[in-house]
Amino acid sequence: MDADTAIGGPSGRFPSTRVSLIQAAGSGLSDAAMDQVIALYWKPVYRFVRLKFQKSNEDAKDLTQGFFTSALQRNFFTRFDPAKASFRTYVRMAVERYAANQHAAENRQKRGGAVEFESVEDREIATESPELEFDREWRRQLFSLALDDLRAHCQQSGKQVQFAIFEDYDLTDGDRLSYSDLAAKYGMPESTVNNHLAWARRTLRAFIRERLRSTTSGARELHEEMRRVWM
Amino acid sequence: MDVSDSVLDHLRQVTALPDLTGTRYELESEIGRGGMGVVYAARDRELDRRVALKVLEVPITGEAQLIACLEHPGIVPIFETGTLADGRSFYAMKLVSGARLDHYVADNHTLSERLRVIRRVGEALAYAHSQGVIHRDLKPQNIMVGEFGEVYVMDWGVDAVAGTDGFRAPESTLDRLSDVYALGALLKFLVSTSVSPAVTAIAEKATSADRRERYGSVAGFLADLDRFEQGLAVEAWSEPVWHRLQRFASRNAVLLWLLAAYTLVKFLLFFLRRF
Repeated sequence: MDADTAIGGPSGRFPSTRVSLIQAAGSGLSDAAMDQVIALYWKPVYRFVRLKFQKSNEDAKDLTQGFFTSALQRNFFTRFDPAKASFRTYVRMAVERYAANQHAAENRQKRGGAVEFESVEDREIATESPELEFDREWRRQLFSLALDDLRAHCQQSGKQVQFAIFEDYDLTDGDRLSYSDLAAKYGMPESTVNNHLAWARRTLRAFIRERLRSTTSGARELHEEMRRVWM
Repeated sequence: MDVSDSVLDHLRQVTALPDLTGTRYELESEIGRGGMGVVYAARDRELDRRVALKVLEVPITGEAQLIACLEHPGIVPIFETGTLADGRSFYAMKLVSGARLDHYVADNHTLSERLRVIRRVGEALAYAHSQGVIHRDLKPQNIMVGEFGEVYVMDWGVDAVAGTDGFRAPESTLDRLSDVYALGALLKFLVSTSVSPAVTAIAEKATSADRRERYGSVAGFLADLDRFEQGLAVEAWSEPVWHRLQRFASRNAVLLWLLAAYTLVKFLLFFLRRF
């Protein structure tokens, strides 16, 4: 299977057309609220479509873009009823229905014309169910957005050292430096390293909460979603 | 910012831990998870003792504050409540050692012992109801039996908790009668191997889908259980005549034996006098 889209990576989280798309759609939600929704859900929707319907990178991007455009045009997000499901579940079920309809329409076209056989090698072997992958991607996006918030906050408030220590210890993929190594590197006592890390984690958690607050319906759903992030 | 799988797992782990900065507690280990939050074993530095620390996403307000004020031998005492540096709420409670009821029940306990546990749970529940608190999520996993037989009801619910399948009453809004339902389900869970139709009837009455058919209070449930243990007729079951006679015979066995012996002696004396 071809590589995933870079959208959602460092260069940007969703298509550059998003603002005009939202404005044009007149979805009933504010641009800021819609920004938050798309920032958090574009990549999980994309990954879900790729795995569930075995789409190529381009097809999955088109389907994802199509889903959000259609959702905005039909005021889909404003019809969400928190009594029935969480917003996360609502989005996942809606994209599943949307993509299944699109997929069926494509298959009907293929049956009427030239049939394309998909190579077995092109299929991605899913190690998790698409539903679990959707939730995992949702968590990844949530942390990713909250990390961006934390970095921006550190830059604005002169806490670059705190972020650097946090980055060295918590954001590294390989072997971690010990607290004493970090203390030597930054010329401070180990207890200060400990305090800086505690502050960064605490603040990251607060940004996660804020991100979730903007995409949930109220206190009850917010608490439930906070629980799901760590379950 | 890109987040790899390993960084994501690490971040979830470190941000899940409660930030105990500014408290008197040191984290030891996680000991359980419930609908409301996570429970950790911790050390109270000031009093040099181990405590259970329950960390919640929801703020401690309203009914949750009432829960903190409950004082009963069947309810785990709360030492302190507060807010952590990371914004979460916490309770510091007595650290209870023992077995959860779902593990405890696996051992071969007598019917009388199982009923003792139910009675202790019911007493704690009746006390809480008298204080305006309902449990909302009564189930074996929320009951602890200590090493000396003490019974503790834990995880007193707040509004965010919606009960557990198998123990949750069918009504949408939970109240005292929903706790009666859960208590009946608990009785079924504990005495499933029992052959006593009276106990089965008590459990059935408590777990009736129609709320009007249930006991009106936990006290009513406990009174019926007491009647069963004393060999009296229970409210939940209109027993057949032969069963009533059997129960009468069982309750008055000594008297009946004496009466039989007396009748026999009289009978023998009557014949001896004739011959």
